[in-house]
Amino acid sequence: MRILLAEDDPDLSRQLKASLSDAGYVVDHAPDGEEAHFLGDTEPYDCIILDLGLPKIDGVSVLERWRREGKTTPVLILTARGAWSDKVSGFDAGADDYLTKPFHTEELLARLRALVRRAAGHAQPMLVCGGVRLDPRAARASVNGEPLRLTSLEYRLLHYLMMHQNRVISRTELVEHLYDQDFDRDSNTIEVFMGRLRKKIGNERIETVRGLGYRLKPLHDEVSDL
Amino acid sequence: MTDGTGATDSPKTVAPKAGGGFLLRLFRRLTRKNSLVGRLIRLASVWFIFSLVITGIALTAYFHQAALQRFQLNVKQIADNLYADTDIDHSGKVVTPPFFDTRTTRVYSGLYWQVSEIDAKGAINDAARSRSLWNEHIPIPATTLADAKARIGEGVFYDSIGPEDEPLRVAAVYSKIDGRAFVFLAAEDRAPMDKDVRRFALITAAALIVLALGSLVAIFIQVRVGLRPLFDLTDEIAHIQGGTQQRLLKSYPAEITPVATQLNAFLDYSQEVVERQRMHVGNLAHALKTPLAVLMASAGNQEGELPEIMRKQAETMRAQVDHHLRRARAAARSQALGERTPVEPVLDELAVMLEQVFQDKGVIIDWRAPDDLAFRGERQDLQEIAGNLLENASIWCRKKVRITADFNPADQSMSLAIEDDGPGLDEARFDEVLKRGARLDESVPGSGLGLSIVDELVRAYGGTLTFGKSQIGGLKVSAKLPANLDGAAV
Repeated sequence: MRILLAEDDPDLSRQLKASLSDAGYVVDHAPDGEEAHFLGDTEPYDCIILDLGLPKIDGVSVLERWRREGKTTPVLILTARGAWSDKVSGFDAGADDYLTKPFHTEELLARLRALVRRAAGHAQPMLVCGGVRLDPRAARASVNGEPLRLTSLEYRLLHYLMMHQNRVISRTELVEHLYDQDFDRDSNTIEVFMGRLRKKIGNERIETVRGLGYRLKPLHDEVSDL
Repeated sequence: MTDGTGATDSPKTVAPKAGGGFLLRLFRRLTRKNSLVGRLIRLASVWFIFSLVITGIALTAYFHQAALQRFQLNVKQIADNLYADTDIDHSGKVVTPPFFDTRTTRVYSGLYWQVSEIDAKGAINDAARSRSLWNEHIPIPATTLADAKARIGEGVFYDSIGPEDEPLRVAAVYSKIDGRAFVFLAAEDRAPMDKDVRRFALITAAALIVLALGSLVAIFIQVRVGLRPLFDLTDEIAHIQGGTQQRLLKSYPAEITPVATQLNAFLDYSQEVVERQRMHVGNLAHALKTPLAVLMASAGNQEGELPEIMRKQAETMRAQVDHHLRRARAAARSQALGERTPVEPVLDELAVMLEQVFQDKGVIIDWRAPDDLAFRGERQDLQEIAGNLLENASIWCRKKVRITADFNPADQSMSLAIEDDGPGLDEARFDEVLKRGARLDESVPGSGLGLSIVDELVRAYGGTLTFGKSQIGGLKVSAKLPANLDGAAV
């Protein structure tokens, strides 16, 4: 397992590098944002530990560049500013997990194991419907290349619609496939989620068929593209 | 326009009563001690009403005087004619001149004359009188007689009562003819003239009252319109307090411009100070935390007493730093004015993020909030409150977390309820957790539930944090926070 550790503090880097090596990882170290970006771009890492307060280029920018360039390597961000706004902006940039400094080394190792395991899930084909793409393996979706931030219920809804695109799906069917047995099956909630999903992927993509249900379909100009 | 706000005691919260109370409210407003409008209107109206009353009195008095003079001129002329043309014939009989005015010949007509002789003893005997008097007699008071005697031939005026009890104005001329003393009297009913004077006074008063009322309205309008910029200023300040705007936006007349400019400068400055403080605090956190992380990481690798102490102390320092920095930040924030944060996007991004973090556990975060709901405070703080509570819930839940934001129009607040389907908390411990929050100084920083941070923030916004049992099985934490309902509109 190869890991990139992007952290500017030499003492902390040394300590972490030692702990990570002990845990069986091969660790590369980048002391600033520029080098971190370069290494992350060129080397095939299984996971990246990224401090947000890096010199030269800050962590969030580095992460944004990677994601723009299509890198899907899981990234765990380290932040000294425990504020939620920092965590949220880290996630918006494409982080997979966060840890607030200072932290216990065991905690870091546990999070790392989980990230690597998650990323190693077996491949599933990409689902495409016009400009909407959904990657079931990474549980990620995008519209026209822009990553979508979906809650799990929204994701499930989109996933189901994508698997049955161009077909009318009734509300009952959706309720049955979205919720566990014990979740409250209020049919109103489907409308709420449908509304939010429409907001995120574009209103015209989901058609309401009166009395029957919903249908996901590509936009008119997108059909010709396929 | 947005509604007034709840928590602060802004002037907009005083709900106007039904339409009928308008005059009452106006009156109250005008008599309110510290009202500028009231002052101006009171001042203007006192002077104005005073001058109107004086004008009214002066006009009426002048008219009365003029009417009386004209009236007296008439009676005096009759008395003079009487005096000039009265003779005594050879038999000693008083001969009066003929009068052609029919009023003197019609009985009790209201116009009378009388010639009275005063004998040596001072007794008054009528020598002749107009037919209109018939058998009646116009009395001559002694004082008037004395006055008339003093001014022989000139005549004096006095009031008397006529044969029909009508008020009379009498002109009396005292003179001697052939050594005999006479008083020549002419009198006329003065009631028509008095009526004229009264009518004039009434009309004048009515006109002046109309003028006064009209002018009061004009003054009121003038003051209101003149002071409109001040009211605008008050409105804008209320909006800033209510959090619907951040600075003064309207342009003001030259007299208030300095105030508005200063106020804006002050608002900018306070915002800048808050911003600076937060940056400062953030830098301090960053500067302290990496060394702490180093300490913890180096101690973590080793066995023994010293590393154990280091670990514990570093942990305590971390908690202390967190605790005090957050408090400082909360204090800095609560002074910032006018921030508003739409609730929906914050909940959405937190839900997305935490579901990803707790992906292995398969946590589902179900959030509900009205589209247009806005938190009256800073985004960072809402993120902090909801983030910490959601993280707790995600840690303790089995699979499900629910966060619901509801608007409460009564006090312009929202309740943010976070529920999970985990083991929950014994009711006996609710108090314990709350108590810990209540006594902030003794609160254990970074306590297991991380609730003290949330509690501090909620309190900084004048809200409350309550605990209960969730319908889906576990703990329910509700935070009450200031809110508006027009979030989407802005």
